[in-house]
Amino acid sequence: MAGQIKCMIDSIIQQRARGDPLIRIMTKSKLILRGVDPDRFSGSSADDPEVMVIIKAIAAELGTALESTKERN
Amino acid sequence: MPIATAYSTKPLPDAVADLKRQCGNCQPQVVVFFASPRYDPHAISQQMQAAFPDACVVGCSTAGEIAAGKMMSGSVVAMFLDADVVEDAAAAVVGNLRSGPRVREAFAEFERRFQTPASHLDIRKYVGLVLVDGLSGTEERLMEEIGNRTDVFFVGGAAADDLKFQATHVFAGGRAHANAAVLVLLRLKRDFKIVKTQSFKLTGKRLVATQVDEALRKVVQFDHRPAVDAYAAAVGVPQKQVAACFMRHPLGLMVNGEPFVRSPQRVDGQSMVFYCQIKQGMQLEVLEGTDIVADTRAAIQAGKSAMGAISGLIDFHCILRTLELCNENRCDQYGAIFSGIPAIGFSTYGEEYLGHINQTSTILLF
Repeated sequence: MAGQIKCMIDSIIQQRARGDPLIRIMTKSKLILRGVDPDRFSGSSADDPEVMVIIKAIAAELGTALESTKERN
Repeated sequence: MPIATAYSTKPLPDAVADLKRQCGNCQPQVVVFFASPRYDPHAISQQMQAAFPDACVVGCSTAGEIAAGKMMSGSVVAMFLDADVVEDAAAAVVGNLRSGPRVREAFAEFERRFQTPASHLDIRKYVGLVLVDGLSGTEERLMEEIGNRTDVFFVGGAAADDLKFQATHVFAGGRAHANAAVLVLLRLKRDFKIVKTQSFKLTGKRLVATQVDEALRKVVQFDHRPAVDAYAAAVGVPQKQVAACFMRHPLGLMVNGEPFVRSPQRVDGQSMVFYCQIKQGMQLEVLEGTDIVADTRAAIQAGKSAMGAISGLIDFHCILRTLELCNENRCDQYGAIFSGIPAIGFSTYGEEYLGHINQTSTILLF
């Protein structure tokens, strides 16, 4: 599988920003400062389990919900 | 005048009386003050609140102060914000930082005061100040906790103590606190802008942190090599000379095209200890110093152009920049950038803006 990390990141940013471009940039910045650079992941990036654990933790801290791939499938 | 500033070099209690005299007819909603550690922290906090009993009075200790177009030491500087600037304000103390910064109560207080969930505050009307014990080592976690609760920008600095590294204090409500942070939430009546400026260019060389001890702000390995070895190769000096390169060649975490500077503090064996955390896997640019005075002047000018005019500013200015300016005998030139603007600032043990950063001037413009 590939591309899950980008989906997770996009979901965090979208939920947090609620359409506000300034908050979108801010949320991206918060992710980078927490060790996850959204620009380093694309739809073809491998689903690194360690990175996914980190992103799930960040999502929880930011109060955003991540739908798991299993649930989506 | 909606924003007034003052400074004094007198001892207590005359210093506070001096500031109050300079405040004149201003009826401040908020008083922000930065005090040299030569002032007793408890006495100055108590006396400042007593002098302005109806205001939200906050501040912290310093490693040098900025006001009236001058860089100073041994002084206390203050900014007075009246009701034409601040519609409402609230301050909260986050204590016991070393046990883990817990901001829930502070934000509950803000939500009660402003009758709005912190997650829904209008980020164009509200701005936060954060002043934090600069020896707590908890700034990153504090900023993350704030960033979890709200999208309001919190900007500020780490309290300092003239490079003694013994005790730093934050002030609120007439009390002085160590191992604590003061958060201030302002609802403003006018526009504001945050300027984060640092004087570095990219060298084109990169290091990836492949083994770290986050809690100790230590990098053990870059690029799977001992950190000192990899850093020395990147800056092109023998390993024994790396410490001499730290100020001119810190590392930058690129965030939306801007470096968030991570400054090396010291060598620890083959590891490197930084003034802020570097996380495992972070890709960092090796930076090279440029002209602090010229870059800051340009940043202020750009801020002025964007806002039309600057009514006042608070400069959270890294002590490492102060040391560099002192070494180059350019403190007067730096201070002069703010001439004609109601401005205060202090030399910090780190700046706060989205996260904890080093070697910047992080400036709140009104």
